[in-house]
Amino acid sequence: MRLYKKEGNSLQILSSPKDDVEKGDYLIVEDAMVNRKLITQVIDVQFASVPGLLEELLRDSTTEEQIYGENFDPLGVSSHINHIQDARMLICKIRGTMLNDKLRVNSSWLPSRSKSGITKISINSLLAHVGGNKDLPINIGETKDASPLNITAHDLDGRLNIITGKKGTGKSHLSKLLVLGLVDYKATVVVLDLNGEYTGLGFSAKGGGNEYSSRVHVLTPGANFKVSLSQMGLSVILKILIHALDLPGTSTREFKRVWKSLCQQGKFTLEDLGEAIRKCSCNIHVRDALFSRYYSLVNSGFFTDNEESAISFEKLFEKTKKDGGVLVINLKDVSSVDRQIVLEYTLGNLVRLLGQWKIKSVFLFAEEAHLYLRETYWEDIVTRMRHFGLFTNFVTNQPDTIKENIYRQADSIFLFNFTNERDLETVSKAARVDSETVKSIAQELPPHHCLLIGRAVKDFPVMVKVRALDIKTMGQTRLFFADSVNA
Amino acid sequence: MKNIESSYLQPNQTPLNQPATEYIADATPIMKIQHPSTIKTIPLEPTLDEKPVVAVDVSSIRIGETETGELCAIRGAIVWKEKNRYKYQRIGPFPFHITEQNKKEIYKLFRNHHFEISGAPNIANIQARIGNLLERWLQLGISCSAYGAIILWDGSMTAGMVGSPVDEMSRLLEIARNRLSIVLAFSKNTTLRFSGHKLTDYAEKAEPPCLLQINGFPLSSGPVLLLGDVYVAKLTRGVCSFRLDIDRKVPRERAIGAVQSLLGSELLIQSYPETLRLAHIFSTFTAIEVIGIQRFIAHQYGLKIVTRPNVRRLLFGPFGKGAEG
Repeated sequence: MRLYKKEGNSLQILSSPKDDVEKGDYLIVEDAMVNRKLITQVIDVQFASVPGLLEELLRDSTTEEQIYGENFDPLGVSSHINHIQDARMLICKIRGTMLNDKLRVNSSWLPSRSKSGITKISINSLLAHVGGNKDLPINIGETKDASPLNITAHDLDGRLNIITGKKGTGKSHLSKLLVLGLVDYKATVVVLDLNGEYTGLGFSAKGGGNEYSSRVHVLTPGANFKVSLSQMGLSVILKILIHALDLPGTSTREFKRVWKSLCQQGKFTLEDLGEAIRKCSCNIHVRDALFSRYYSLVNSGFFTDNEESAISFEKLFEKTKKDGGVLVINLKDVSSVDRQIVLEYTLGNLVRLLGQWKIKSVFLFAEEAHLYLRETYWEDIVTRMRHFGLFTNFVTNQPDTIKENIYRQADSIFLFNFTNERDLETVSKAARVDSETVKSIAQELPPHHCLLIGRAVKDFPVMVKVRALDIKTMGQTRLFFADSVNA
Repeated sequence: MKNIESSYLQPNQTPLNQPATEYIADATPIMKIQHPSTIKTIPLEPTLDEKPVVAVDVSSIRIGETETGELCAIRGAIVWKEKNRYKYQRIGPFPFHITEQNKKEIYKLFRNHHFEISGAPNIANIQARIGNLLERWLQLGISCSAYGAIILWDGSMTAGMVGSPVDEMSRLLEIARNRLSIVLAFSKNTTLRFSGHKLTDYAEKAEPPCLLQINGFPLSSGPVLLLGDVYVAKLTRGVCSFRLDIDRKVPRERAIGAVQSLLGSELLIQSYPETLRLAHIFSTFTAIEVIGIQRFIAHQYGLKIVTRPNVRRLLFGPFGKGAEG
């Protein structure tokens, strides 16, 4: 390999077809004379532009149909000619320099073109050079050179992460892996599970329980996830009414009055609430508005007057305090309005508990959050709630549903394959990587391979094959022709 | 190549995206037409008796230089048409290292094949002669193996020059004749002139397909001998016409018949036979091949490729002329 050109932080390296270099690999350009090294990552492999190539190909193309023959080449010169034809140009991005084995983020140094040696470096030895905290490792899978790749739980702690990629590439699988990785270190995780994919986390692939069985709590709204009005503060019920059920301002004021009177009487059943609204001396339109919201609450099946069957978030988190655990909020088959009600309740309570220091911190995994997270929550989660200890991981196959400012604040991005350039354009707005890297590498990622970008890999983008998990697969698409495929 | 004792290889500085310079020219000497009498137009009719068509061409190219000499490479191509399909055989490339020390050995090789070299030829000419030698060897192989075929040569049938000894050329034609084949030699360029005009200019107004027969050429001029009858061939519509030499010892009717067979058997574009065009394409070196051969030599003989300062460029900058300019 020979250094050919440097433009800005891009490097072009001439490579022979024999060199085993692919997209995503790291190369070290070492100038021994000055004891400095340039760390570069291959983001594209192109054919070298060799003069006369077109003539060569045109001549060869005539031999395919009507013209054929053979070459008598006793000296074997043609292998050298083929070598030139197949010469490659590696398009690389400079990721840093090393001076006396100390890493610096600096791309201004220019190594010698004639004296520099270029060698491949394994991801693990690169990350070893980078250093950093190696406690609480979470094994993600293996790198291209088949060595295991670990991130640390610290890389998710207090951070905002995004897992994105097109459908069927393995986003949810990685998300599950991270969830269980955090639970291994006794963390509390809440999963907003839109398709019921996480409900099998406590089961092994064969169907029996696994080591996480006792720490996975699946909460299905209306079934084993019901709440009573008495557990709910005014602020939470107002959030539900305003944001999930669009209660207008005048009606909200009237509701507050009704709620206060119930508090004074110590009556917190649904029946009491209905009766209070009926007796309320207010405008008939306001009363109608309150009644319609009241029936929405009743019909959601999420509320109960039976205190024994009502779930207390505080008690649930108490269970996860010692050994960690996952609360999977199963939103499968829940209507969009009910989903909003459940979400407003869950997030409202989480913030309340975090604010009161009743729980230390929570890792939130939100699948396709745009379907249930209201506009104002996005920035709230990313900025304000982070300081309360709510660390969010967004999982989506529609990257444009996440706002640009969220990408900019993301600490790590786990990027799976995208073929659509618009999707890649959106992801490339992440501040921690250049858009060329994202566009070039992500387009060719095979299924179950992802590009790790950001803090988790110390800002050295790394391609990784996500490891398998021994858990029951849920959320598979129901197929009409499944039987004939199996037969 | 075995005698390389150098430590470096200075690549040829001809810009590689330019067509490679080749030294096998249609080196026809200037012959005066002493008794110009007539130019006779011979209209042609394609005949349907399809005959095998075989073409030969050879290219050579300068690859670079070493401390002790010059490096060049040659390659030959034979193309033949069979049942509407073209087949080819490429021979080479063969790199050569020409030095003062091995010149004698090369002269000996030439003399064995009746290639007489007088004086002190420059190395570029030796390169061309090596190419001529391979070309004659391939032509001999075709003459000996083809039967009842039309054999196409690139160049003329002018013998008696360094690269075309009379005995060798006569033998090639004789073998072909004995095997009922006919050799047709197409020259892309000719220096022959008639009344001050280039020979091929006379075909401009002729109705193709036709041959213009030029009468009055001397058979010989000093050591130079014309082994063929000289025609101008305009075989298709278009601006091109070529000097065509046909073995003089073949009866005229058979010679004309061979051209008519070529019309019926071969694809002709701008009056030039496709088989011969392909032979040229397959023998010619591309820039990639030149780099590949340089790499082979450097790899095989441990030479380091160096680029010497270009004196012309140093002195004259963009005003330097010629290939090194």
